Amino acid sequence: MKFSYNWIREMIPGLTEAAGPLERLITMKTAECEGIEETGALLAEACAARVESVEPIPGSHNVKAIVDAGALGMKTVVCGAPNCRPGLLTAYVPLDKKVVHGIESDGMLASGAELGINRDHDGIVELGTLEGCAPDAAIEIDNKSITHRPDLWGHHGMAREVAAILGLELTDPANLELLPQGPAAIKIQIEDLDLCPRYSALVFENVTVQPSPLWLQYRLTAIGLNPINNIVDMTNFVMAELAQPMHAFDADLLHGDTIFIRPAKPGEPFRALNGEDYTLDPSNLAIADSAGAIALAGVIGGGDSAIGAKTTRVVLESANFQASSVRKTSSAIKLRTDASMRFEKAQDPVNTVRGLARAVELLREISPGIRLVGGLADQMREMAAPPAIELSLEWLERKLGRATEPAQVRRILESLAFGVTEVQPGVFSVTVPSWRATKDVASKDDLVEEVGRMLGYDSITPRAPLVPAAVPPGNPARRFQHDVRNLFVDNGFTEVYNYSFLSEESVRAFGFDPAEHIRVTNPIASNQELMRASLLPGIWKNVTGNAKHRESFRLFEIGLEIHRREQGLPEEIPHLVAALYSRHEGGIFELKRVAECLLPGARTVPAEARGYEHPARAAAVHWKGAVAGRLFELHPRFVETGRAAVLDLDLRLVESLSGDRTKYRPIRRYPSSAFDLSVIAPLREHAGQLEAAIASFAGPLMEAIQFVRQYAGPPLVEGTKSVSFRLTVGSPERTLSSDEITAIRTTIILRMRDLGYELRV
Amino acid sequence: MLDESIQELASRSFARIAAAASPEALEAVRVDAVGRKGALAEISKGMGKLSPEERKRIGQVLNAAKQQLEAALDARKQEFDEAALRARLDAEWVDLTLPAPGPRRGHLHPITRIQRELEDLFVSLGFTVLDGPEVETEYYNFDALNIPPDHPARDMQDTFWLDGGNLLRTHTSPVQVRGMERLGPPLRMIAPGRVFRNESVDASHEHTFYQLEGMMIDRDVSVAHLLYFMKTLLTAIFQRDVTVRLRPGYFPFVEPGFELDIQCLICGGPGCPVCKHSGWVELLPCGLVNPNVLRISGIDPEEWGGFAFGLGLTRLVMMRYGIDDIRHLQGGDLRFLEQF
Repeated sequence: MKFSYNWIREMIPGLTEAAGPLERLITMKTAECEGIEETGALLAEACAARVESVEPIPGSHNVKAIVDAGALGMKTVVCGAPNCRPGLLTAYVPLDKKVVHGIESDGMLASGAELGINRDHDGIVELGTLEGCAPDAAIEIDNKSITHRPDLWGHHGMAREVAAILGLELTDPANLELLPQGPAAIKIQIEDLDLCPRYSALVFENVTVQPSPLWLQYRLTAIGLNPINNIVDMTNFVMAELAQPMHAFDADLLHGDTIFIRPAKPGEPFRALNGEDYTLDPSNLAIADSAGAIALAGVIGGGDSAIGAKTTRVVLESANFQASSVRKTSSAIKLRTDASMRFEKAQDPVNTVRGLARAVELLREISPGIRLVGGLADQMREMAAPPAIELSLEWLERKLGRATEPAQVRRILESLAFGVTEVQPGVFSVTVPSWRATKDVASKDDLVEEVGRMLGYDSITPRAPLVPAAVPPGNPARRFQHDVRNLFVDNGFTEVYNYSFLSEESVRAFGFDPAEHIRVTNPIASNQELMRASLLPGIWKNVTGNAKHRESFRLFEIGLEIHRREQGLPEEIPHLVAALYSRHEGGIFELKRVAECLLPGARTVPAEARGYEHPARAAAVHWKGAVAGRLFELHPRFVETGRAAVLDLDLRLVESLSGDRTKYRPIRRYPSSAFDLSVIAPLREHAGQLEAAIASFAGPLMEAIQFVRQYAGPPLVEGTKSVSFRLTVGSPERTLSSDEITAIRTTIILRMRDLGYELRV
Repeated sequence: MLDESIQELASRSFARIAAAASPEALEAVRVDAVGRKGALAEISKGMGKLSPEERKRIGQVLNAAKQQLEAALDARKQEFDEAALRARLDAEWVDLTLPAPGPRRGHLHPITRIQRELEDLFVSLGFTVLDGPEVETEYYNFDALNIPPDHPARDMQDTFWLDGGNLLRTHTSPVQVRGMERLGPPLRMIAPGRVFRNESVDASHEHTFYQLEGMMIDRDVSVAHLLYFMKTLLTAIFQRDVTVRLRPGYFPFVEPGFELDIQCLICGGPGCPVCKHSGWVELLPCGLVNPNVLRISGIDPEEWGGFAFGLGLTRLVMMRYGIDDIRHLQGGDLRFLEQF
């Protein structure tokens, strides 16, 4: 929201700080300023001038004008405006002389847009007076930082802050004495006082709809609003000044003598001021006449009853609506307006009549001859004063960490219009002004903030807390993941982070079912609509991307797989995915080696390949009796050149099986013996299976079995291979005799023969 | 006569030892001279004919010659051994400027690096590190943080909604609530993690980024304590003394709420383009925990109080390394990642 410095200064007669220092003070004490924009710079030099004569310039659409610039004297200027005509009262800006079309032009005649008064650049400004138009500075406040402050959505509220910061007097632009007495000319019927706590209205006649005076146009333009006509501009002006949104209806276009504030009917049609047609439902609060909706409460007025050139009678609405109801409607129809933005912050119901009083004053000036019809129409729910809040100096010190003088607390709170009574020494009873009581200030901690910010947080000295020393509870899962990261980095893998979003296309590419994925209902783009239930599509993208620049590389990611569950939150499972790419040779055994560093003793058990896996190079990783993941090469379909070996592990499972269960065993005192066995097996027989079979026949005296080598070729029969293992046998109690060793060996040979394997002895 | 033969044999053998060109030749000399059937042994056979005195004397002469010869043989052998070792060592020359085989060390993601640094720092200050789910309920992400439905503060964080009614957490603050529920007061915790906002991506905006939430709850926790922790934290992060300031900021889960600025580390205060000529850089939102938030999590705000802060981890990483495009962080490009 933009605040006009001149506007604020109008309400603080003693203000001498310039806009720059003021912006810094507001930032430190109230709300974040995002910058200052100078407006109306040309107005510093501009003056009113009368066009005396106009001569065409041959061969140009420009004219040569002689103007009477008052104190500056008679000036000759070249002007291109179509409305430059003798007798016109406009604005003259002195500039350096320059020659245009052979004519020396001394200064310029300016358009409203050039002056910053309005957005009109079709011609030079046509004015009555430039009074009230001076260079200004618009201070831009971050809207987020005033989300909790309904009062700061108007200049008066900000002026109150400034006055409190600087210890200056604040004037009130609203004079309630201007409100008419007597019976109202229109009836108001509120169906639900929770949704509409107050609705106030005035009726005017003999209205002239015309452009606003320049000072009013300028005020609105300076803060980024668009001047339209005097009536609409007045409602925007009051909104920007008092934070009270208003709406003007053409009274002659309303049906009946009553304004109804009621939930919309199912399917009720509504044409808004912006030309859009909306279909309402009972969750929307409607303002209606006897014929139907004439406005959407707190959001936008109706097109059918809008102020137009022919309007002569006006119903002026100044109401209060429930914040959440306005917000719901506004987000449901996707229309945010200056009014809805204010109402959703919970505006002050006391403010409706203040807005009307200000309107009466303004309308008398900008619509000469206007007359009020009847008294104030005003319906409201009973308004109880909010309970007083008890604030002790002790609490204040406990929260701020510094002591504060009672007089200082009182001065600060009173400068912000809180009522302060010292009920006992060091304890205040504080009443909250209505405009802070809707949502903003309700507890003593809210008051701590008021006092703290006005004291200045820089007055608080950092201090270490006195707390017992304690070892914080650990986070073994996170620690484990860090260990895994170290292992993979040490083995040459570089860590990547991928998004949690996947496209349907990439999910399908891996043969996953999009329907099993959690779907983002408002994705940033259509290719980021599914939550990843696998890290593979991400790492695949990394592999193909980096393969353009590198011959070989190693990558890994630790991230969450997100799986749909029947009820409640989805299951989030941490996974490790590591990829080893090489343009030339496969690296699956190197990846297996690294996996074994993490999972000592893991077995890779050949498994049926999934669609994205190389059908002859895929295995499940078995560890400690569980399936911990997969080791495979990506299917060549996925990798144009080269090979990518991939490891995918369920880290939650792996972590649960990890843990240091080391138990010392005495070193054996008796020597072990070793012997080799070579098994002849079909070429595609898995060495792991042979090893398992041998081990199972070796008996309890086997200490270890180790693969030594395999060989295929002459003199072996084609289609067979010889696989050699070294067995170590021994006993903790004695040295085995050669007979015992031979017996073990023989048993294995015989049992393997039973299974159909020849052994090379 | 025997003396002469011994003398002659000795001098002849010495000459042969000196002339031996190889260990094998030397061995032949040893066999010839002092071997079991060698010349000295031959000579000693003739000693039987001598008188006892003479036998004794000649025996001594023989022994002396044998010892001398053996010493010379050993010395010569050692020369050969040393030469052989020298030759072997020389033959084993390698070019140590050649690269070692095998992969180079990989690289941790820069966010991981900074996150770990902060985790270690906070653990050393007695904080526990907590995790929370990335998919959250409306309750934890908003309601329990004093952001009721239809509260305009919900606009401060553009939310990704999921089918089924859950959402992607827009901040790490829900872990505050989970931490309070699980561990209760007193509590010192941080929660680093991934958060999501429905924003379009450009060089400085991401829909996926990292935050580090922090919270301390104890009997008496004041703004002065918050300032102390923030200053300690930031001094450790930036490895230099930093000047901080608090100014009002609105976040529904804290009251009072602050924006914490640090004095610009580039210009030190006078103003420069980095701090937009203000001398200060906005770094993190923080505040005293709103009593409503404590109450919702079953903690009595009269008895306990706390502070909370939310550090933009991604932003900190970018500041620390001077990264100018946020998109690199999740781009998976090794040319970027290998720099860390």
